[in-house]
Amino acid sequence: MRYAELQCASHFSFLRGASSCEELFGQAAACGIEALAITDRNSLAGIVRAHEAARANGVRLVVGCHLQLTDDTNLLVYPTDRPAYSRLCRLLSIGKRRGGKGRCRLDWEDVAGHAEGQMAILVPDRADGTTRRALERTAEIFGPQAHLGLTLRRRPRDQMRLHDLSRLAEETGVSTVVTHDVLYHHPDRRILQDVVTCIREGCTLDALGFRRERSADRHLKRAAEMHRLFAAYPDALARTLEIADRCRFSLDELSYQYPDEVSEPGLSPQQTLARLTWEGAAARYPDGLPDKVRRSLEHELRLIGELGYAPYFLTVHSIVRFARSQDILCQGRGSAANSAVCYVLGITAIDPERNDLLFERFVSQERREPPDIDVDFEHERREVVIQWIFETYGRNHAALCATVIRYRSRGALRDVGKALGLSEDLIKTLSSQVWSYSSEGVQDSHVEELNLNLEDRRLRLALDLSRQLIGFPRHLSQHPGGFVLTRDRLDDLVPIEPAAMNDRQVIEWDKDDIDALKFMKVDVLALGMLSCMKRGLDLLAEHKDITLDLATIPAEDPKTYAMIRRADTLGTFQIESRAQMAMLPRIRPRTFYDLVIEVAIVRPGPIQGDMVHPYLRRREGREPVVYPTPELEKVLGKTLGVPLFQEQAMRVAIECAGFTASEADQLRRAMATFKVTGGVSHFRDKLIDGMVARGYAADFAERTFSQLEGFGSYGFPESHAASFALIAYASSWLKCHHPDVFCAALLNAQPMGFYAPAQIVRDAQDHGVEVRPVCINFSRWDCTLEADTRGDRLAIRLGFRMVRGLANAAAARLVAARSERPFGSVDEAWRRARVPVQDLVRLAEADAFRPALGLERREALWAIRALRDEPLPLFAAAATDDGEPVSEVSEPAPSLRAMAPGRQVVEDYTHTGLTLRDHPLTFLRDELQNRHVMTCAEATGMRDRRLTRVAGLVLVRQKPGSAKGVMFITIEDETGVANLVIWPRLYEEQRRVVLAASMLIVDGRVQREGEVIHIVATRLHDGSDLLASVGEGGEAFPLPHGRGDEVHHGSLPDPRGGPPRNPRARDIFIPDLEATVIQPRTRDFR
Amino acid sequence: MAASQAQALVPGLQVHDADAAGDAAALDRLAHWAQRHYAPVCAADGPDGLAIDATGAAHLKGGEAGFLADLEARLAAAGIRARAVMAPTYGTAHAVARFAPDLSIVAEGGIGRTIGDLPLAALRLPDALLPALSRLGFQTILDLERQPRGPLTLRFGPEIGRRLDQAYGRSFEPITAVIDQTLPRAERLFADPIGAPETLARYVAELVTDLCLALERDGLGARRLDLHCQRVDHRLETVRVATARPLRDRRRLTRLLCDRIETIAPGFGIERMTLIASIVDPLDWRAAPSGLGEAEAPDVSGLIDVLANRIGRDRLYRLTAVESDVPERSVRRTAPLAPDSATAPGSTATWASDWPRPARLFRPPEPVQTLALLPDNPPTHFTWRGVRRRIRRADGPERIHGEWARSDAELWAVRDYFQVEDEAGERFWLFRAGDGEDARTGPQTWFIHGKFG
Repeated sequence: MRYAELQCASHFSFLRGASSCEELFGQAAACGIEALAITDRNSLAGIVRAHEAARANGVRLVVGCHLQLTDDTNLLVYPTDRPAYSRLCRLLSIGKRRGGKGRCRLDWEDVAGHAEGQMAILVPDRADGTTRRALERTAEIFGPQAHLGLTLRRRPRDQMRLHDLSRLAEETGVSTVVTHDVLYHHPDRRILQDVVTCIREGCTLDALGFRRERSADRHLKRAAEMHRLFAAYPDALARTLEIADRCRFSLDELSYQYPDEVSEPGLSPQQTLARLTWEGAAARYPDGLPDKVRRSLEHELRLIGELGYAPYFLTVHSIVRFARSQDILCQGRGSAANSAVCYVLGITAIDPERNDLLFERFVSQERREPPDIDVDFEHERREVVIQWIFETYGRNHAALCATVIRYRSRGALRDVGKALGLSEDLIKTLSSQVWSYSSEGVQDSHVEELNLNLEDRRLRLALDLSRQLIGFPRHLSQHPGGFVLTRDRLDDLVPIEPAAMNDRQVIEWDKDDIDALKFMKVDVLALGMLSCMKRGLDLLAEHKDITLDLATIPAEDPKTYAMIRRADTLGTFQIESRAQMAMLPRIRPRTFYDLVIEVAIVRPGPIQGDMVHPYLRRREGREPVVYPTPELEKVLGKTLGVPLFQEQAMRVAIECAGFTASEADQLRRAMATFKVTGGVSHFRDKLIDGMVARGYAADFAERTFSQLEGFGSYGFPESHAASFALIAYASSWLKCHHPDVFCAALLNAQPMGFYAPAQIVRDAQDHGVEVRPVCINFSRWDCTLEADTRGDRLAIRLGFRMVRGLANAAAARLVAARSERPFGSVDEAWRRARVPVQDLVRLAEADAFRPALGLERREALWAIRALRDEPLPLFAAAATDDGEPVSEVSEPAPSLRAMAPGRQVVEDYTHTGLTLRDHPLTFLRDELQNRHVMTCAEATGMRDRRLTRVAGLVLVRQKPGSAKGVMFITIEDETGVANLVIWPRLYEEQRRVVLAASMLIVDGRVQREGEVIHIVATRLHDGSDLLASVGEGGEAFPLPHGRGDEVHHGSLPDPRGGPPRNPRARDIFIPDLEATVIQPRTRDFR
Repeated sequence: MAASQAQALVPGLQVHDADAAGDAAALDRLAHWAQRHYAPVCAADGPDGLAIDATGAAHLKGGEAGFLADLEARLAAAGIRARAVMAPTYGTAHAVARFAPDLSIVAEGGIGRTIGDLPLAALRLPDALLPALSRLGFQTILDLERQPRGPLTLRFGPEIGRRLDQAYGRSFEPITAVIDQTLPRAERLFADPIGAPETLARYVAELVTDLCLALERDGLGARRLDLHCQRVDHRLETVRVATARPLRDRRRLTRLLCDRIETIAPGFGIERMTLIASIVDPLDWRAAPSGLGEAEAPDVSGLIDVLANRIGRDRLYRLTAVESDVPERSVRRTAPLAPDSATAPGSTATWASDWPRPARLFRPPEPVQTLALLPDNPPTHFTWRGVRRRIRRADGPERIHGEWARSDAELWAVRDYFQVEDEAGERFWLFRAGDGEDARTGPQTWFIHGKFG
């Protein structure tokens, strides 16, 4: 019995459908359904995933869409061919533009204008006048392509309804067709579907009432069952197949064209590129082009010509050229970016002469995938570039990719909790138990730890359901910078919708969809460190008269490497994290390539593949470097025989197991999802057989495979590592030679990096830089450099940007008003600068009146309190007459209590996020000594394996995916920092202390590894109350957290291209795999 | 402490929302009580205090110490833990009661010594001022008292000066006594006690007339009337009637009361009758019909009052729709005149007209023996209460899922309903517990849930 299901919503009908495309197609295959149409509501967002899932399961996808018109008519449309598909995309784009973000407004006229080539099914309610009118309209527009849907609802008088509808169709001359209006793949999903309905309606389950889906049985049914149910309508059943057969459009037909780059008249893109390349080469190498570079240029140009990638290079080049013309710092990244061509075009600063980088991933001719170049820009000025791209390529041809926002633990718990009517307070308490972006969900043990009653049915349901909801898409958002550019109209390929941000537009598909369809994409990403470097280089030019850019910073500077080896890298790019700092003294970088390895090695891939220790042993000479075959030596020579980069993994498969390049790429992608699909065993056999056939020992082949397996999607390409290493080196060089400039630039580029301003300032002070407080008469908005009498360093004057809550405009007025002469009093500042009193209060709270006017916080606040909204006109007139302001009142001096020193520190932290006074722990030292607590300096000076007890402010908490659940915490006291290691067992035992304490008192054991000292914690005590006593006010200490602190900032998808830490919520289609291995899943696993 | 934290500490803790209005009302009642027992001038000082002007009243309770002890003891007996303080000014008494636990009587002239060291929160300042003052380092009342008044007033307004003066006794602070709220009432005293029902009825009518005049003055209508009849033997006979909506209709009120005269036992006679409107509401007048053919909405409130006062208010109800697919949960009792309620705001719960439901539901559904084809065919016959009926026509199934949020038992439960007609033309509503395929959904047994017609 044959049947095709033509009405099915995936979970891309946000908060309506309750199953993924993978689940739906898996189930469809199991149910014997021949073709499945995905008809999401006013959207094609899920269609690419459906396309992949369809191929994987051998069920044909019918591309379709469920249009909900403004008069509440529901219409299903299916394009029969490519032009019809384009019309559908345009139709949706029109509706989305009209409806605004996340909505779609379409009426009958719009449908009529785009109806050609579409099949249509009207979804009726009852056989009444409304339906008759809608049906006549449909017939009028679509002619013989119009149909009326017959759907069982499992409601009273169902059969009568179907009978009336089919009679109505007969009268109107429209044929009927069976649909099932599927919302989920399996009956068990009904409950979750109710929950998402609640979330959509924003109400609790008890208040949901009739807003829930009222017709029952919305899961996919077996084809035979459908035939049984609709036995009275054989024609309507047969028509499902007819329609599916007519709608032959497949996404494979979408062909992509590169945008036409404005080439020189008379020259082809390839010729233009060649000309630009040789011109650039001459400029890059004024002393003559080295032979090696010339050879690679010729080789690469030839390859680019063969593959027809010249327009792509020209596009990236013109974007970069525009950025340079606006003096915006940028740096290319990705396989193609590290080519010699890109270097001479100025896209990247990595000199191909000095660095012998692989070009292989790019060279892979078989794959026919567009090359990959990401460009990082200063984060503050990237919008300029984005708008330029929109304007240059036209809004019909350029748009950003979407990002599918999916539920994670906290969001799922919050929404499910609300739907089930848990109290706000309880939800908050529960979600405090999970890592903010984790996808594991709240575990029962966490709840028990909170002493909550797990027997409570609602609570248990909320936990179970929220775990199920994790991974569900919630809505579409815009990708941080992935651009799709096309020559033809973009809305012929995919619907476009306006983004939440002004002047931006987004397509409905995300990065992976674009990848799957092999569209070209340029990533225009924002990188905070580039903003910082830009500021630093500008300051350097201004104050020290040294003009440099990323490419001209002195390379291979020994002093810089010495600093890096000491792990003195706080604030630098990439190598500042705890895990990186711990690795530095072991890798002991001396050259640029060591840095490239350093950046790549502290990643989950190499660590899970157990490649770090073999590499380190070989590097330290404790293990011989052996290569079983010369091929392996060729591939792994640079990394001492241990594969560290993604390119190498693929290379090994090609060279040693006889994979073709495209097979190697499939292997990489299969590994990314091997836990999910189980499909990797196919490659396992092929790899091991291939290696054994080429004369490798079987156990060696096994080991190689398990090494590669560890990579998965976590493998880090060498090309990215090299680009990152360059910025890491540049920032380290600046920190090493100009710590004053580096600190000022870093503070001005906040928020970025792992650390909070408090630690950046402390670090600068440790390096002998004087840091001066915010001052009403000397500070500007940004932190500035001032002459320091003591030595060759410059002193840093903290800027007004450090003052919490101060408006930029107010600061600007202050600076403008004092240019004539400095302010002499609070009253004067207010009168001359005319800033709102509220802003003066913020300045006073930040103690900005003390350095110049000698007014303590309270004195300044006392003075400000006397100010009115407007100066009194008479006094204002008197002031303008003789130039000197006249004080409005003369009054006796107040007798104010002096603020206790501890309180001052707390106020500093509260209002500027740092203090230049004593460290908060100084005030607790006596108490701590009574508790036998050592200082961090004493503890880190102890011998290996000694027991110790230290205390400190919690700076950074990290649980790198690379460290198998080990947590790193950095604490700080007045003598320095100590690095804690928390084993998973202790973490689980003392989870609440770990996640909530702002100060920790730690019992532990010293562990020395060369110059790196860790304290392995055995017991943690919460010192938050003690810390709060510093301020004498009883409130919690206002501890600022750096962005590296994952408890507060979560591990967001890293825009710097780091490995995705979240599960990739999709399967990858692998043609060689049997469809049976992909089982429909209920949810995604990590 | 957050509620969830408290719940974690005490298993099974009941959580109630704070009821500020209720607390204020209770405090007000306490002030009334104090005014009757202790001193003529008492006031509630929300949210947690009682102000008593004890001038010339303390000696009645054995001096100041005795007064305070008596007050605390009586309150403790009523389950109220209280702290009482006597001071020359109310400001000082207020401060000492809350912030100086060891002191209960402040002597004349001892104010300065006593309150200087108390925190600023003792001064009854507006909440917004306290953080501002503490930011400037002011901690105690003395800190403020020492400051020159001018600059302080310039910065913080006159409130600080006023409160300081009140506390230190430099300015007078009156306490406004609570006033007993007077309810509309009417009273008759009889020189000769009365007892005959007719006489009672006559006077009831007179009382109602008086009361209606009083109500009319204030634009009110009575929701509840209390008739107190004091007998010569000092026993009190009481009648209470309530109305469905505010009412000032003499005839109807009289009738409601007269209906209940039989419940009054006059004994040796009644010497005083008092009629109190113990609950009143503003009377809403509706515009008269315009006479342009607009039908007047029938007013059944009179009927409801008569019925409800006879059979009891809780026995009179009507049914309203609830948004639930489960038949027995789709109706709810509601007050006769309550508006059509809906479980969710904005939703209009009604019974769909094209989804027939039987007029009578059996509670609980009764099991029947049937023969039916799985998975979803209607039964061919069924046996109910010993009568076997052959089914001629049927419609179904209507699939109704359990409401999984209520209990685990309903998580997967399904009922398939069929409307069936037997050979005699009688129609029944049968269901099968379970969907005919999956054992989780129910035992697949059959029940009758209702009867049409």
